[in-house]
Amino acid sequence: MSASPALLARVLRDPGAAAGLDPDGWDLLLRQALGADMTPILLVLLEDAGLLAAAPPAPRAHLEWARIAADRHLQAVRYEVRQIGRALADTGLPLILLKGAAYAMAGLAPGRGRMFSDIDILVPKERLPEVEAALMLHGWFSAHHDAYDQRYYRDWMHEIPPMEHVKRGNVIDVHHAILPETAAARPDPAKLRAAAVPVADAGDGLPAMRVLAPHDMVLHSAVHLFSDGEFNHGLRDLFDIHRLLLQFGGQAGFWAELAPRARELELERPLFYALRYAVRLFNTPVPDTVLADAGSGRGRPGRALLALMDRLFLRGLAPAHPSCADALTPLALSMLYVRGNWLRMPPLLLSRHLFHKAFITPRAGQVQQ
Amino acid sequence: MWRVVPGQSLAFREWDGEAVLYNDLSGGTHLLDGGAVEVLQALRPAPANAVALATALAGRFDCAADELPAVIEDMLAGLAGLDLVEPFPC
Amino acid sequence: MLTLADLPRRELAARLAGPGLVLRTGPFTNRIRTDVPLLLDGLALLYDDYPVAEPGGFADFSLSLHRAGGLRRWYRPQVHFAQEGVAPFKPLPLDQAFAMFEWVMNWCVTHRAHSYLIIHAAVLERHGRALILPAPPGSGKSTLCAALVTRGWRLLSDEMTLVRLEDGALLPVPRPVSLKNGSIDVIRDFAPDAVLGKPVENTTKGTIAHLKPPRDSILRAAEPALPAFIVFPRYEAGAATSLAPLPKARAFMQVAENAFNYQVLGAAGFTALGRLIDTSSQYEFHYSRLDEAMALFERLAAQPA
Repeated sequence: MSASPALLARVLRDPGAAAGLDPDGWDLLLRQALGADMTPILLVLLEDAGLLAAAPPAPRAHLEWARIAADRHLQAVRYEVRQIGRALADTGLPLILLKGAAYAMAGLAPGRGRMFSDIDILVPKERLPEVEAALMLHGWFSAHHDAYDQRYYRDWMHEIPPMEHVKRGNVIDVHHAILPETAAARPDPAKLRAAAVPVADAGDGLPAMRVLAPHDMVLHSAVHLFSDGEFNHGLRDLFDIHRLLLQFGGQAGFWAELAPRARELELERPLFYALRYAVRLFNTPVPDTVLADAGSGRGRPGRALLALMDRLFLRGLAPAHPSCADALTPLALSMLYVRGNWLRMPPLLLSRHLFHKAFITPRAGQVQQ
Repeated sequence: MWRVVPGQSLAFREWDGEAVLYNDLSGGTHLLDGGAVEVLQALRPAPANAVALATALAGRFDCAADELPAVIEDMLAGLAGLDLVEPFPC
Repeated sequence: MLTLADLPRRELAARLAGPGLVLRTGPFTNRIRTDVPLLLDGLALLYDDYPVAEPGGFADFSLSLHRAGGLRRWYRPQVHFAQEGVAPFKPLPLDQAFAMFEWVMNWCVTHRAHSYLIIHAAVLERHGRALILPAPPGSGKSTLCAALVTRGWRLLSDEMTLVRLEDGALLPVPRPVSLKNGSIDVIRDFAPDAVLGKPVENTTKGTIAHLKPPRDSILRAAEPALPAFIVFPRYEAGAATSLAPLPKARAFMQVAENAFNYQVLGAAGFTALGRLIDTSSQYEFHYSRLDEAMALFERLAAQPA
């Protein structure tokens, strides 16, 4: 028994699919959106397609609630970036934003309706102590006191432990690379930093900011989704990739250079999966030549592995909602969790990490029923 | 010289000499005394220094005329900590 | 209008186990699913006046409370809450299922319903005037609320004051009044005819019981009220009953600190709260005698405008 195409994925692919929904349909759509953490994104799509006014009053009220939360979130992001800029001004380092904060501050399409909990920045590894000290001076402190977690982050991962601001409670993740040192692929962070582009016209009072170049932004998003152990936001993260590709697809040279850049950064496999599943779920207009290029060399996995990954990912990427689950899902999700960590850490370290996390670090888990 | 931070609309409500003010940048809400609100209102149209503000607000504060600029300067330093005003190079 | 009392118990159980029981609470519809018998009992006792909608269609909030599976099914059984595949809270002992249900019902609204400024306060209406009682836990607000309800005040809510952003009207979301520890006995003495659910011990807040709201309050749940008084209560053993006016700017800040979503609403919340402060009087209230408190509030509500 296979999971039927989720209503949410259908509407994300084509907002017009929401036009004829009956009350049951709206109920299911909004519940799937809630489970996938995509309600404000759904609002943006429906409004852009001119379909919001025609939605029945009750679901429309819920979408308006999401608008309020998303507007407030953007205000908070802008203020937080402003404060981060101030804290790091004396280091002379360019402020390179990653992921959600980058989309928001650069005014990119994937930023619209996209809420996130931490601000991610990229700095050179050798400047980490200075950056950490500057943040501490301005009120951020390391939230992870557990010695194991500290080692996990500092020795094995590509970031220092998340830092939380003492007054505002907001969290900043300081990365020095986009994959851990222990991973097989080693995309060179110096290349990413060198190619970073300035954000134009962000507004008064905001620091000078940079974001990754378009190819690198897509690749980072792909790495984040397909190497990460956790798929709570799988659909949303793949939709980010879809919107990034739509945003940049019109730029000269974007498509032609995408797979070559992936090869340069040793990220052929995540790119292959990103393009494959974006096309599958959202019908992203990726040129055939690019798909072929991305599938050449180390991009495409062997046939058996690909078949397995198709089954795992398509379940992992379905909205995290009971109506989309089927008998395979809990197993699929747990296999993806193990796989994710295997990509980031060699097998020897893995079981020790998993053991520790399961029994000592409390985590709010997803219900799988 | 000081100015109101761009982006701050200075929405406020005042009752009996005390005011609440909405901070458009931080999203916070501050309890201020009426005097601080007067200073902000006086600063809103154009950048000014404490001396000019003291002249404009002479008689509004229960304070000796020669002390008022220092009092206003202190107030502005406090308001700067809230991102309501900022130094403005002349 | 179909109410829960109109459903045979078998039908109630079938809806809860299957497509969901859809209950209306003020402006919201809630689709409830559960396999916990205690919860069915609690609903049958305390919610029988509530309007019930057909299963299916659009519901504002869908929630499931189920027995935890695996070993926990039998050994120190637990109930857990899930919404759209996500479990935001840890499971609780099974006997706390009704208390958990009430907490979750509050959480659904306070977490998301941003067309209202939602204050953590009881709100009741008498003679066309609404009394808002914000208070941190332990201040006696719930005892006061329950007592007022038994003395003829209309209940809008015991936990959430909904201020409609567009016009400042207070919207009822009447639900059972939660009582803790000593106040359970106080209310039993004060109002021997009141219907109370079975007390549940050992919750994180001590012993909890719920008071059934008056039928009239449920019948009038679509009728907004206009704010008149905001009173911050403080119970102190032996204290004289006293009502002291609060400076408005300070009252504003205190209400903001007691609101669930003031921070999320931004400028709209600031405007709505300013209007609320303008259109009401604010006080600090100390008391120890419940009957004196009742008399004082009655006098307040009966004042000419």
